[in-house]
Amino acid sequence: MGGSGKARLSGMQKQVLALYRGFLRAARSKSPEERTRIEAFVSAEFRRNSSQVDRKNFLYIEYLLRRGKRQLDQLKSPDTVGLSSLNVEVSHGEKT
Amino acid sequence: MAAVSATCVRFRTSSAELSVRASNQIIGKSVSLVSLGWARTGVFPCIRTSRLQICAAKAETVEKVSEIVRKQLALSPETTLTPQTKFSELGADSLDTVEIVMGLEEEFNISVEEENSENITTIQEAADLIDRLVEKN
Repeated sequence: MGGSGKARLSGMQKQVLALYRGFLRAARSKSPEERTRIEAFVSAEFRRNSSQVDRKNFLYIEYLLRRGKRQLDQLKSPDTVGLSSLNVEVSHGEKT
Repeated sequence: MAAVSATCVRFRTSSAELSVRASNQIIGKSVSLVSLGWARTGVFPCIRTSRLQICAAKAETVEKVSEIVRKQLALSPETTLTPQTKFSELGADSLDTVEIVMGLEEEFNISVEEENSENITTIQEAADLIDRLVEKN
């Protein structure tokens, strides 16, 4: 992540930040408690991917961007009052 | 050896109507050099040269910005903040910066354009931009 001062952001980084901004904006239109939950979830999701996804894995990042945009469109709808997530993790044996 | 990890995001819907906050767009590119009215509104005078704009943001704006930055980055009370402190020096990444700018938007009831928010790296820069935007409103 281009954290250092004047470092120029790549186009993809800009897209990611714009998406993040979009989510935070959309969260504002929801009820206060949903908003807090959405913000916590979205923030955790972005931070997780920012540390786990290889910054050179453009294909995957593009996929995440597209998925994020779709999810944002749904969240933006006034009919969507909140967001909930379900994590399923099944693992057998040792992780590689 | 098998690992399955799935994340499912579900959007709950209801017929309840929610008001969507309309964001007022401010054209960030056109830096208005019309200084009409600032003396009347009691805004701290800005020294303006033809192209370059040296704007001394109000002390209270700087103070408020510092507060928000402190809260957003969960800084310890001992951390000293100066207007020149870079967000990155405080350990903020680009996501943190987005959060700071969003927090500032709400606090000051303004809307920061994307291209502008990228140029905000210090408290001083944020305060200057805010005072410019507040003046325009």
